[in-house]
Amino acid sequence: MEPIAIVGIDCRFPGAPDTGAYWDLLMRSADGVGKVPGQRWDADEFHSADGAEGHANTVEGGFIGDADAFDNEFFTISPREAAAMDPQQRLLLQCTWRAVEDAGLSPQRLAGTSTGVFVGIMGNEWAQLHLTDYAKVTAQIGSGNGYCMTANRVSYHLDLKGPSLAVDTACSSSLVAVHLAANSLLSGECDTALAGGVNVAVTPALSIFYTQAGLSAPDGRCKPFGAEANGIGRGEGVGVVVLRRLRDALADGQRVYAVIRGTAVNQDGRSNGLTAPNRWAQQDVLAAAYRRAGVDASEVVFTEAHGTGTTLGDMMEVKALGHHHAARPGKPLALGSVKGNIGHTEGAAGIAGLIKVALSLHHRVVPASRHATKENPALQLKDNGLRLLKAPLRLPAAPVLAGLSSFGMGGTNAHAVLESAPPASARPGPRDAGATGGIGCGVFTVSAPGAPALRRNLAAQAAAVASRRVSAQALSWTSNQVKTGHRYRFAVPAHDTAELAARLQEAAADPDLLARLTAAPAGKPRTAFLFTGQGSQYGGMTAGLYRDSALYRGFLDEADAALLPHTGRSIRDLVLDGDEDVHLTRWTQPALFAVEYALGRTLTELGVRPGLLLGHSVGEYAAAVLAGALTLDGAARLIAARGDLMQQLPEGGGMLSVRAPLAEVAPLVADEPLAGVAAVNGPEATVVSGDLGVLARIEADLTGRGLTTRRLTVSHAFHSPLMRPMLERFALIASEVGGGVPEIPVYSTVRGRVLDGEAMDAAYWIEHIGATVLFQDAAEALLDAGPTHLVEIGPQPVLSGMVRRLGPRAQAAAPAHVLPVRGAEASGRDLADALAELYRGGADPEWAAVYPAEERVPQPLVPYVFSDEHRYWAARRPTAADPADSTVPTAVPAPSAAPAAEATAPAAAPGVAVLGARAGTPADPLSDAVQEVIAAVGGYASAEVSAHQRLYEDLGFDSVMIMELKTRLDERVTGLAHITVQDLLPRLKTVADLTGFLHESGATVTATPTAQEGRTA
Amino acid sequence: MTTPTAHIASIGTALPGDPVDNAALAKVLGVNEEWIEVFIGTKTRHFARDLGTGTVRWSLADLCAQAAQKALAAPAVDPAAIEFIVLGTATPDTLMPATVNQVADQLGLDQVPTFQLQSGCAGAIQALSVGQTMIASGQYRTGLVIGGDVCSKHLDVQRDLSDAAPSDLVNFVLFGDGAGAAVLTAEPAGERVALRHVLNRFTGLGSKPGQVIEWFGLADRYDDRQALTEDYKAIEERVPVMAVEILWELLGELDWEADELDYLLPPQLSGRMTRRITEELGVPTAEEISCVADTGNNGNALPFLQIEKLLGRMGDGHKALAVAVESSKWIKAGFALEKI
Repeated sequence: MEPIAIVGIDCRFPGAPDTGAYWDLLMRSADGVGKVPGQRWDADEFHSADGAEGHANTVEGGFIGDADAFDNEFFTISPREAAAMDPQQRLLLQCTWRAVEDAGLSPQRLAGTSTGVFVGIMGNEWAQLHLTDYAKVTAQIGSGNGYCMTANRVSYHLDLKGPSLAVDTACSSSLVAVHLAANSLLSGECDTALAGGVNVAVTPALSIFYTQAGLSAPDGRCKPFGAEANGIGRGEGVGVVVLRRLRDALADGQRVYAVIRGTAVNQDGRSNGLTAPNRWAQQDVLAAAYRRAGVDASEVVFTEAHGTGTTLGDMMEVKALGHHHAARPGKPLALGSVKGNIGHTEGAAGIAGLIKVALSLHHRVVPASRHATKENPALQLKDNGLRLLKAPLRLPAAPVLAGLSSFGMGGTNAHAVLESAPPASARPGPRDAGATGGIGCGVFTVSAPGAPALRRNLAAQAAAVASRRVSAQALSWTSNQVKTGHRYRFAVPAHDTAELAARLQEAAADPDLLARLTAAPAGKPRTAFLFTGQGSQYGGMTAGLYRDSALYRGFLDEADAALLPHTGRSIRDLVLDGDEDVHLTRWTQPALFAVEYALGRTLTELGVRPGLLLGHSVGEYAAAVLAGALTLDGAARLIAARGDLMQQLPEGGGMLSVRAPLAEVAPLVADEPLAGVAAVNGPEATVVSGDLGVLARIEADLTGRGLTTRRLTVSHAFHSPLMRPMLERFALIASEVGGGVPEIPVYSTVRGRVLDGEAMDAAYWIEHIGATVLFQDAAEALLDAGPTHLVEIGPQPVLSGMVRRLGPRAQAAAPAHVLPVRGAEASGRDLADALAELYRGGADPEWAAVYPAEERVPQPLVPYVFSDEHRYWAARRPTAADPADSTVPTAVPAPSAAPAAEATAPAAAPGVAVLGARAGTPADPLSDAVQEVIAAVGGYASAEVSAHQRLYEDLGFDSVMIMELKTRLDERVTGLAHITVQDLLPRLKTVADLTGFLHESGATVTATPTAQEGRTA
Repeated sequence: MTTPTAHIASIGTALPGDPVDNAALAKVLGVNEEWIEVFIGTKTRHFARDLGTGTVRWSLADLCAQAAQKALAAPAVDPAAIEFIVLGTATPDTLMPATVNQVADQLGLDQVPTFQLQSGCAGAIQALSVGQTMIASGQYRTGLVIGGDVCSKHLDVQRDLSDAAPSDLVNFVLFGDGAGAAVLTAEPAGERVALRHVLNRFTGLGSKPGQVIEWFGLADRYDDRQALTEDYKAIEERVPVMAVEILWELLGELDWEADELDYLLPPQLSGRMTRRITEELGVPTAEEISCVADTGNNGNALPFLQIEKLLGRMGDGHKALAVAVESSKWIKAGFALEKI
């Protein structure tokens, strides 16, 4: 069969809360078995050493920690629904999410795909407790139980459209699920399959059953193939693997843990008893798997056995394996079973074995099998070509084959053949890296549905990153792929892992810092690019960025090449070498153009697409190219000519900046033929330009009136009548170059407004030379169009300050200022900072452009860390008392800590929710009543419900709950008699919407609820 | 069956922080900048501790792991294939655990044999020798060989050196910190440089040590011994002679003519000493590959820094020969490389 790759893993087993801990437990040959937790049942109550009727002969087993914890808020499941859910559903949901992340995918990226879900499960104990109290069966109890729902919930919450099914073949369930998942991939039914298993012991029923059937080990421990093996110990667990066709995984550059070469499933048929293991059928399923994998049995180096540690079971398994391996040449087949560490995890046993084999092939060492030192001599392992792993087996660097068995109590057997992942030979080399792009600094992203979740996950990432020795860029790239789907977006640039770890740790610990580095954008940003004008230039501008960013290098080189035929010298070299000639207007103008073009193009390549453009004077040239009104070559020719012709004008002109409104300055200039108003930059910022003598006169006049003036250091009187002598020659070139209508709105500083279908053609550029720069008008028009982010494109921030001094606009909220180049020290890191800010503001960068090819390699990152704050378990434990008389408990949320109060965060950019801030609510009985009712329906504490929360997305409401909401509202509020649920539906976006609607409808509060109502399920 | 030849598939090096030039060093130590340039001939070096505060910024394990990570990141190398690790150093972070195991831990390598060789300038070459032998055994196909030193452990920035004698001063200006690593493979891969021969021989019977680095425990930590002592006179006298002998012994062993050599990697004592020794080696047709003037004498990192520089130039069929002398107890060391 075509090989299937295991690309993602997550699991929780006794003594091992995650994959890393599981591997550690296996390598330490540790024991995950312990006493039955009191929460499940009273082990002593059911204990009878000699296995009396209705009793178990052991008080121990392999139990997972925190089986009751569930992050229902993450999945927007109400507490009431969460409490009704089988913990197997809850655990599987979290485990699946983490496995997908481990595969280097943001789970949201799978939404809408044909991804399949295959779950092995054989325990239905939650239903036995909760579906037998008929009076208390609710909708939630119904959907909270049943095998199908374990798989279907995963498909629902991850929005997966492929096959979704639960498999029960008893103890082989989850390996059969993997078999079906592989077949589904091979048939083309899906392109990604999530396969797993789950088992949680809620009642002692199976322990009693094993005891009564004579299969239960008194110490609760499986001792596979051991001399002291005396039966099964129960174990719990949940595990999920992400499967792809190997060729797809390799094509997508995914990390491959191991490869499934072949799987097979068969049945004992009418064998020696329904529950008795059958050596012949096992032998056949091994043969079928070897055949399907196309391997000879003797090529298999080690096998993870079913290995329950029952006398008969071990014997049958050894004989079946011996049939294939007794005569093998070379070393005997190495044998082990994880059941020795964690017990028999029943529905999750197959996935526990699969994950162990995959990790063994991945780490190139097979852990020792616990209890192997004293092997059962009756099994005659050596004669059967087998050896029990008494010590870890180091695997060679060459390809290695492994086997995995899982056998069901009812006779459904499964076997799989796995192989080590193909060698990582196709990694891109660093030699050809120079030209592949990137900005020289990564942006690490973490997202979460809320502030506490973000803090928790930042701390987890910080701890994991600190101990890693990999490139911070590769880690950042992976974080961009995996950690970007949630509403609260955190982003920070970092050069190396030490710095990254420190910044993540600081952000996790410091709420103010976290608030600065996080935002929850309401929508996509509307970005404006502001291109800086003359005066902002300096020697060596953007040299750091050029050094760090191959992407920027490429565009500055491109601009340089376009300018070279017209400038005769390399503008790039002039800029980067720090040549002071950059202040001669002949060079200033093309230099600024080159830098702004390159920076603008770099940003668009990074996925920052401007919706509005504005250029201050010569800044309009690069803006025009980005708007598609001028070609790069055309603009290069024009700007070179413009600078050159201006340089040739006689010196003697100057410019005067005045802190006064235009109205005050204009009369002084009106009658001066040799001077003009060059720019109106703000209500108190006017620039006069012209003959030096005239300027001196005007200056004296203004100073006399107590106004502040400042001479600008310029060689010529730009935007003044003194420019006229060059116009004719410039016009010749401009008419050849031409120019079109901008494709992106340009807020023209010539017109002081947005260009409305007007071309930026020869006439425009000629007028541009002498015209007053109407920055204030253009910028105000731009601000009125409601941009969320102003990105200043230039060698240092100038326009950003001018815009701020224009003051707030009535119609629009103040946009955020983004500065990709902050000054002479600017580097790739500043650009990364700007990109991080835009991402936080809702932009979705082209992350691939941020990194060179050799850094775009997936790295393992800690999967999402779920909250364990909320816990749900059965209200009452199973008791040994006559079950017919006992009241069957109803599921309830376990008491949980009140949500921590959030510190008020500083105001963020418009359209961006303030991190963790809760809207202050003035006394409003109707609002309080609505919140109380919603809390009661959802099973939240009243304090957990606030006005801005969305009923469906944040509070997990569904149609059943809406019906109940209406009923409860009718009880609490008068004046709703004429309103139907249909009327309500369009007004149920947020809690506040509903309150508003009720106000409009003239509703008033009638009754006060009992204090505890919000917590009663 | 022929004995497998070890090949260098990739190399990585790590130098801590920014280079410290003589002006900066002279200022901190209160010594004459010109004296460093003229008598030592080293221009810059790197320190794992902050020169101003004396705080440790990188451990030896950090530097070795950084270097090894770079070597493992090479496209021809599969980190999962590493079957052994050998580290040569004179300045381990702790006596236990051996630094090589901390390096393995940082690299995420487990279940592999590790070795740490306690040696001065010859440690890296001893590590290469062990690596070569392991691959020649046929039991191992890929391994990691590392050399590194953190000499700044003895750089006491608080000490007033204005009255120190030149022999004492030298210790403060000669050394630097760093690490290097190479991935050795049984088949030519990546850089495809065959390790043709490795020489590692103790020749100090009856000779007084040329260099001593003490270590102190609870019982003798207040002893008034100098932590680092060098017999510079003996070193200046003996090292050039030994270097010439090593060169000719290697050439003889390989049946190579001196004029076949494309590159020569001479001992890296200091900028000045290295220049002198290279002249005495007298192989003008071979291009000299040195780094000490820029990196300082960072002990067991040096051969790797030289190899890294060499790999940038080496063409197919080129031959290179490296010579090193450990003056502590007079160890002759060297190795020969050929790109195939």
